[in-house]
Amino acid sequence: MKNKRSFTTELSARQVLELDACTQCGECLKHCPVQDVTGNPAVSPPEKIRMFREFIRATDGLKARLFGPAEADQKLLQDFAKAVYECTTCGACGQNCPVGIFTQRLWPMLRKEMVKRGLGPIGVQAETPAAIKNSGNPYNKPAGERYKPWFPEQVKVADRSDIAYYAGCTGAYESQPMVKGDVLVLNAIGEPFTMLPPEEEVCCGFPLFITGQHDLLKDLVTRLVKGYKAKGVKKLICSCPCCVNIMTRDWPAIYGEALPFKIRHITQHVSEAIRTGKLQLRNKLSESVIYHDPCYLSRGVGVIEEPREVLRSIPGITVLEFERHGLNSRCCGSGGAARKVFHENAIAMGRQTIDEAVAKKADRLILACPACYAKVNEAMQGHKNQIRITDIMELVSGLI
Amino acid sequence: MEKGHSIIHMGKILIVAAYAVYAAFWLRFIGHALVWWKVSQRLDNRSLARPHLKLKACALTVLDVVLLGRVFIVNTALWIVEWVFHASFLLVVLRHLRFFLDPVPDWVWWLQTPGLIAGYVLPFALLYILVIRLLTKLEKYAAPANLFLLGLVLAISSIGVVMNTLFTPDLVDVKLFIFGIVHFAPAAAPGSVLFLLHFCLVLVLLLFLPTHIFTAPLVMLEARKREQALRLVIHEK
Ligand code: SF4
Ligand code: SF4
Repeated sequence: MKNKRSFTTELSARQVLELDACTQCGECLKHCPVQDVTGNPAVSPPEKIRMFREFIRATDGLKARLFGPAEADQKLLQDFAKAVYECTTCGACGQNCPVGIFTQRLWPMLRKEMVKRGLGPIGVQAETPAAIKNSGNPYNKPAGERYKPWFPEQVKVADRSDIAYYAGCTGAYESQPMVKGDVLVLNAIGEPFTMLPPEEEVCCGFPLFITGQHDLLKDLVTRLVKGYKAKGVKKLICSCPCCVNIMTRDWPAIYGEALPFKIRHITQHVSEAIRTGKLQLRNKLSESVIYHDPCYLSRGVGVIEEPREVLRSIPGITVLEFERHGLNSRCCGSGGAARKVFHENAIAMGRQTIDEAVAKKADRLILACPACYAKVNEAMQGHKNQIRITDIMELVSGLI
Repeated sequence: MEKGHSIIHMGKILIVAAYAVYAAFWLRFIGHALVWWKVSQRLDNRSLARPHLKLKACALTVLDVVLLGRVFIVNTALWIVEWVFHASFLLVVLRHLRFFLDPVPDWVWWLQTPGLIAGYVLPFALLYILVIRLLTKLEKYAAPANLFLLGLVLAISSIGVVMNTLFTPDLVDVKLFIFGIVHFAPAAAPGSVLFLLHFCLVLVLLLFLPTHIFTAPLVMLEARKREQALRLVIHEK
């Protein structure tokens, strides 16, 4: 039977215009990390856009209107699905697009269309909804192990507070030095903070959103928002850029109204605490460090200065920059859930990050994303270049 | 005599082709507009924080459109030539209005010399862009559609230069022919093969005219609004 569903169903008006507005100039390819490591232009933004335009023409073009929608070319659909899932959704292409296409938002919505057509997600990504339904997290790990293995005994969590901390699944299960650093620093600031019990701190929805599987989002978000509301929270702090991104950009729409609390990335909270003297970094660090901007933190929500402020406030430190940093940062390879399927691409991208950090003679590579942290550490195994990798709060917590 | 007949036939064919291309252009445009209209009816509730229109965003968008500001940011080496290409293309198109209008407005007369200079510059700008796209390692990708359009405009503009310098067609005939098409009162085609080729290629260009010329300015405006609103995402909310 013909699938007559319109290819524009999941897109906003702006996104349909964006697809039309691509001039096919190819400027974006110079900034695409996947192009860098695969050299395959089939994965490129203009190719993806060209393919999707053909799909729209088949179901929504003038001919389709006059004579009924046609079936999109199946081979092209499969090629497209692979290409759109191989992308890390880092958004560097959009940042460098002469037309200004917001690709960081466009690709996830095109993925959603693929899911609706049974062509996405790819590989293990398809297991995410069942894992979250079963355990509350995409790793299908027991809730009992969410905090226990890393939570420092000396840190006290209030039952209710204006401030809450959300650890996030990747931090809690895969990048524990990072979340441990977070709570140690929050504790050192001295303001009481609360957390949801481990079985209530479920996935923020990002892994589902980014792979185009939106069905469980409403349940998860409502559960979390109500949980924090019940604890009287006015400020929700999180260190994971992906969680922070979906919380700020999508939670209000998914929840159906403005959130009853504001969202802050941990570096925003900590830089303010340093500025106001609530947190003092007494220990010296005579090192050159290089900070990698996570795509969903810099391009995603514009948190660029605060991590640098935190780092620069460490006595004795020298902060170096990657060639591409801030809004223009290069993906370390972990984004868009592509790392779970296109493992070799992710490792190659991670190694590019390591190589540049080493070439710049940094003593340490500072990361601020649990996915980057896990994958870049993995990329370093067996690699010719080695560097010490530290999460930003892991670093700060060791200096107070 | 023989030649005269074939030119008259050719003229008739070209007139039919011109009307067909004109109709196809509008059909294509309507096809796109229907999609835009359909999606514009959709309530975009994906984000509750829709950026508002700010004067600064509008001003920057005007710069983006008029000076290709975003190209300047992402590829300065290509920017100046891209800008020269777009500006000279526009001037050449405006210069050609003298064939479409009667009486010819003063401003079209004023644009004749700048338009003539632009006509000579245009092929060189296009050649530069093509060389960059095809021969340099800086460009990782050259879309066939993009190359086709660049090649087409290069051919049209080069023929234009040749006609202007070496084999000038009878301009009165040209005006009568074009004016006849515009006013649905067909006249005989000029007896210049180069002109006929030039005209045919322009029809092909119209057929493949990219719709980004309509949508890109709107997307540029959205991009500026989004950039201005970035601080509203997590800093000032
Ligand atoms: S989002 Fe990143 S990985 Fe995906 S196409 Fe754009 S630059 Fe490449
Ligand atoms: S830079 Fe923008 S307009 Fe150019 S090909 Fe890439 S997405 Fe399309």
